[in-house]
Amino acid sequence: MSAPTTNIPVAIPAGASSGAPAGQHPRTIAGSLSGGVPGARGLASRLLHGTPGRMRLFGLLGVLAALLLGAISVNALLASQSAVERAANNSAQVVLAQSIHVDLLRADAVATNAFLVGGLESPESRAKYEGAMGRVAAGIAKAAAAQPADGNALGVLSQRVQTYAALVEQARSNNRLGLPVGAQYLTQASTGLRADAIPIITQVVEANEERATMEFERSNSSVQLLVGVVSLIGLVALAVWLARRTRRYLNPSLTGAIALLLVALFVTATVITGISTATRDVSGGDYERAVALANVTTAANDARANESLTLIKRGSGAANEAAWKTNRTAVDAGLAKTDHSGELTRSWQAYVDAHVKVRTLDNGGHWDDAVKLSTSTADGGAANTFDTFDVAVTQARDSAGKATVTTLEGLGGSAPLVAVVVALVALVASWLIVRGVGQRIEEYR
Amino acid sequence: MSTISSTLRRRLSTLVAVAGLGALAGCSGVTYAETQLPTTPAPKPSSSAPAVAAPTCTNATQSYDPLPSLPTRADISDGTMRKILDKGFITVGVSADTYLFGARNAFTGGIEGFDIDMARAVAKAIFGDASKVQLRVITADDRKPLLKNREIDMVARNMSMTCDRWNDIGFSAEYYRSGQKVLVSKALPGAKDLTLADLKGKRVCAPNGTTSLAKLQQVKGPVVVTAGTHTGCLVLLQQGKADAITGDDTVLAGLAAQDPNTVITSAKAITVEPYGLGVNKADVYLARYLNRVIADLEADGEWKTIYNRWLAAPLGPAPAPPTPVYGR
Repeated sequence: MSAPTTNIPVAIPAGASSGAPAGQHPRTIAGSLSGGVPGARGLASRLLHGTPGRMRLFGLLGVLAALLLGAISVNALLASQSAVERAANNSAQVVLAQSIHVDLLRADAVATNAFLVGGLESPESRAKYEGAMGRVAAGIAKAAAAQPADGNALGVLSQRVQTYAALVEQARSNNRLGLPVGAQYLTQASTGLRADAIPIITQVVEANEERATMEFERSNSSVQLLVGVVSLIGLVALAVWLARRTRRYLNPSLTGAIALLLVALFVTATVITGISTATRDVSGGDYERAVALANVTTAANDARANESLTLIKRGSGAANEAAWKTNRTAVDAGLAKTDHSGELTRSWQAYVDAHVKVRTLDNGGHWDDAVKLSTSTADGGAANTFDTFDVAVTQARDSAGKATVTTLEGLGGSAPLVAVVVALVALVASWLIVRGVGQRIEEYR
Repeated sequence: MSTISSTLRRRLSTLVAVAGLGALAGCSGVTYAETQLPTTPAPKPSSSAPAVAAPTCTNATQSYDPLPSLPTRADISDGTMRKILDKGFITVGVSADTYLFGARNAFTGGIEGFDIDMARAVAKAIFGDASKVQLRVITADDRKPLLKNREIDMVARNMSMTCDRWNDIGFSAEYYRSGQKVLVSKALPGAKDLTLADLKGKRVCAPNGTTSLAKLQQVKGPVVVTAGTHTGCLVLLQQGKADAITGDDTVLAGLAAQDPNTVITSAKAITVEPYGLGVNKADVYLARYLNRVIADLEADGEWKTIYNRWLAAPLGPAPAPPTPVYGR
């Protein structure tokens, strides 16, 4: 708040404002304290009486302005730091939710592909399925603990995932008995997963992306510092007023206080701007890359499951092949944005080539050969090329995700220390203001 | 005077309030709105519109005269058959989940059954090689549209010959005779002797686009539940979403074999279901060719061999093949 510049004579008779007759209470501090509000008001009026009174009042306002500047700076610094911290947590949650999404689709791709091979599934594919489902279960629990706002959605997701797992087990046991109803259970599992579970995890990812974006924006709390600037202007106004009143132009204490506060405000602004710039770099860099690569991994695993489902449906899988093509477009777009070395693109292309061959074989009436190529772990086989790509893209995504979280967590580190120093500076400045104004009051007498 | 001091006080309190609010914003934790669940559209009620009354005719099983003898490949000039020959294989719409008729063998991954053997016999006649067949797995509902737009050359998928279907597609002569029965959960009281009419208020399942469904919709009492395939109906029954399944006895035998908790009731078949191989309505030559193939299979005992391979265990040894009716 700026100090008042209007020069209205303040002559308040003691106790007059309260309506209580003056003189009824002793005009001592003890008396005014025991006398309650009217007495206190009397004391205040007396203290604020005349030019020294105004000096006292403006001095008090000056101290408040200094403290306000300090508080605002400390608050802005801590707000920036905690926004960055929350951005880190939300980014971590986005990465975790995306991992759950990928693992669900990966499990489904493995289950459908194992089914396609016929007979008993290999221990490797069983282990892969269980690994993916295990990570899903652990991920859901971890994500629910990390973000209470996701708790309800993740609870429902957990329920749907259990239904999916139960249907897959039912498909598996019927399959072991050689009963065609097993295939029906598998179809129901896959359809249910995509219709009931995937939309929930997509929603969780989106909600956390929004939260992360919100915190990325909050990390720049420098708008608050405008209040600090106003405080500083108020202090300068006080110094000018004091100088005019007393005709003593330089007040070393007051000037020192203003200089200290100016430096504190500048340092605070610099630190906050630094944090916010670095945060923006992360949000447009590693974070964006992690999200894009996760989308690539998700689309790729969905594509792989769709390849198996197309073959399982033997000629009636046109919808699944169309879904495969949509997935491919998503992967291509994601890789164009993120894959600067071209290594991932090459490895994805190897899988696409294998898939095209699978489709050519199936469309040409060679279903058996198509299945063989689709499940082949030999060089050039669809299973082989896909796994190579899946491992590479997952690694790239994991490292981008880790880099995001680590960088963000390191960003706000210096803010609390700066905050402590700024708080001390504000206290010192307050003391200097009291001293500076006190000097002038003494001199006035 | 008092206004001045109150103004001052207001200013002071404003200052304090601003500082306090700022501190609050910095220290208090941020709470987020709860993550919303995706809104799912209400499931569409299964179509239970009453079937259009089937036009009655007396010659549903009447097909075209068979070719006098199997022509050599070079002698075939019919457009459709030439395309099949040029393609190198015949595309046949089949079921992959009708146990014993057309079902995926979970151990080999191959599709096998009575209908599949019929398809392979046709491929053997045309190409001299039973493997020159592309099996395309279709649902019952797919049969007519896929034949009509020529995505498949032939249907061998327990398809009943009806007057209604003759309006849209063509058939070979009858190659198998079945009848519609009811399969119920053994848990129902008096399960063994239940008829469709007895199942008042019970949920009875039949696949979309089948004659079984049309018949079921004509019976008053049962609640109609539909699925894509008969096996889909079995899943619904196992999940407690249906109490009974109606369909051809052969199909039901396949379902009962997969679930010992079900039983085919002793009620007499409520319909006669003559199975024919479906073709495009315009492919009269192909139908005549197929009739020759079927007649030969029945004459040389191959039909009985196929029957016994798949159906002897649940239904007993092969009866005489159905008598073909020609002259359409």
